[in-house]
Amino acid sequence: MRFNTYEFMIACRFLMSGRSQTILIILGIAVGVAVQVFLISLMDGLQRNLIQRTIGSSPHITIAPPLSSPQPQGIGSGTIDDCQMPLKIEEGEILSWQRYNEYLEGTPGITVAAPMVNGNGYIEKGRSSFPVIIKGVTLPEADVIYKFKGNLVNGDIRPGGNNVLIGTASSEKSGLQVGDTFYLRNQKGTGDHFMIQGIFDLGSSAANNMVVMSLERAQAFLDVVGISAIEIQVQDVFAADNLAERLRGAFSRIKVESWQERNKELLSGLRSQDTSSAMIQFFVLLSITLGIASVLAIIAIQKSRQLGILKAMGTNDKGAARIFIIQGFSMGFAGALVGILLGLGLAELFMIGTKSSGGPTYELKITLTNILLPALLATAAASVAALVPARRAAGLNPMEVIRNE
Amino acid sequence: MNEIVLLDKINKFYGDEVVVQVLFDIDLAIKGGQFTAFIGPSGSGKSTLLNIVGLLETPTSGAVFLDGQDISGMSKDELASYRNEKIGFIFQFHYLLPEFTALENILIPYWIGKGKPPEKVVSRAMYLMERIGIEMCSNKYPHQLSGGQQQRVAIARSLINRPKLLLADEPTGNLDSKTSNMVMELLREIVRVDKMNLVMVTHDRDIAAGVDRVIEIVDGRINNDSAVE
Repeated sequence: MRFNTYEFMIACRFLMSGRSQTILIILGIAVGVAVQVFLISLMDGLQRNLIQRTIGSSPHITIAPPLSSPQPQGIGSGTIDDCQMPLKIEEGEILSWQRYNEYLEGTPGITVAAPMVNGNGYIEKGRSSFPVIIKGVTLPEADVIYKFKGNLVNGDIRPGGNNVLIGTASSEKSGLQVGDTFYLRNQKGTGDHFMIQGIFDLGSSAANNMVVMSLERAQAFLDVVGISAIEIQVQDVFAADNLAERLRGAFSRIKVESWQERNKELLSGLRSQDTSSAMIQFFVLLSITLGIASVLAIIAIQKSRQLGILKAMGTNDKGAARIFIIQGFSMGFAGALVGILLGLGLAELFMIGTKSSGGPTYELKITLTNILLPALLATAAASVAALVPARRAAGLNPMEVIRNE
Repeated sequence: MNEIVLLDKINKFYGDEVVVQVLFDIDLAIKGGQFTAFIGPSGSGKSTLLNIVGLLETPTSGAVFLDGQDISGMSKDELASYRNEKIGFIFQFHYLLPEFTALENILIPYWIGKGKPPEKVVSRAMYLMERIGIEMCSNKYPHQLSGGQQQRVAIARSLINRPKLLLADEPTGNLDSKTSNMVMELLREIVRVDKMNLVMVTHDRDIAAGVDRVIEIVDGRINNDSAVE
């Protein structure tokens, strides 16, 4: 399609001559785009926040024995061929975990693979006992996942020997503080004294109910030889399920579970949120399209006299149509620009509002895509809407106008 | 061939269900450099004939030659660009675009055909305005002009592309007699000085007085032609 400069000029003058009409429709588009920019950013921010909360301080993929609850008991033995590696596996424990770990650390996409020993225990204090989760970890691997250092409320992070970290929940329940020594009992009834080196807050009550010690100490304490799980953090959280699937193919004898599989409900919730926001966007676009189509149809009728004379003077059908496409595009484009500004303003107001009211502190996710996509769609919709009056303009016979006088 | 317009057995029918014939076997040759007037009562078919000559309407049958060229085979787009380059139109109403100033209106035909007018063309537009006596109107919008000024802007617009043929449909129909005389004088001058070929439609014999050739059309047929008297 070859545009002629006079088409732009005429389109521009037509829009200017119906200034209030033009401004109204541009505002209409702008409001539509603003709502979309705001809505998409809000949804995106909310979803990222939810996902961050869900998986921020927890593994993206967990590798566990088929029966994953820790069962501290006597050492069994058995050799399996897993990934062409002779690996020992016991119900409830991974014995040859070092080999798995080596393999996983060399797998692209995996940031860290941290071996863990999990078990149940009780903090004994006087005549009371408080149930806790005992976790044996290696540093710095476990810190990449749980971010103990970043979430430390008090004390220091270097669990070693009988020095442990405990969560705020266990600290509050038992009244224990940094530097205190306490008696920790395992499920078998035996126990030992430990010293609290630091207290952390991971944001969830289950995680804050942990007592964290070194892997070796936990193995000895819980009387296990292997480990309970390997917890994995990956580069792209949304690719975790694909990676888990690949690992499942490589390892036949252990259980591989991604965060997506553990949080099916959350994900289906997010998906239905996506669907409803897509629907809202669709209807906003539809109303933009209808609005522009009707305004341009009116302009096409109002200007049929001018179009008739332009055609008599040599404007061809395509040229007459282009005058309207240009008008639709211009209104869409102007509306999109104003809409982006409005949307960003709305987002800014929202953030100020939620901050001052102490409401949810999640951030809107304002990305280039979140801004440009609705703007592009609105501009395209406006141009498409212009096709209706453009066809009318193309089909106009100059004689209709000139003779009718 | 020095005929600027040659019509060969032109018939024109209107309507689908009720068919009305408005032109009957019109044969007509108009020589170059003349001021020709089609006169006749309203409904005689004279405007239809002018519109056929101006390529705004196509005859139901018959052939149209303009400046020796057969235009029957031309596509819609080719007709549009032929109109733009070779024909200037003046209508009963000025039909200026209200969104544009007088000067811009004069330049629009050039702009349609060749894009943004260069300085030379703008100067020509200014010259035309000066010659027609409306140079002070160049930056005014049509609604700020008198009827006579509007029609003179329309005349300047019809001349900007140096057309071969100027067609005027009741150019004075909307003007008072004084302005009317002024416009007719201007048209006569354009024919005389520029050797322009001008065909005008009017229902008023007085207006047609003083043109080179008067062709009277009655009921779709040529009733009288001053050239064959």
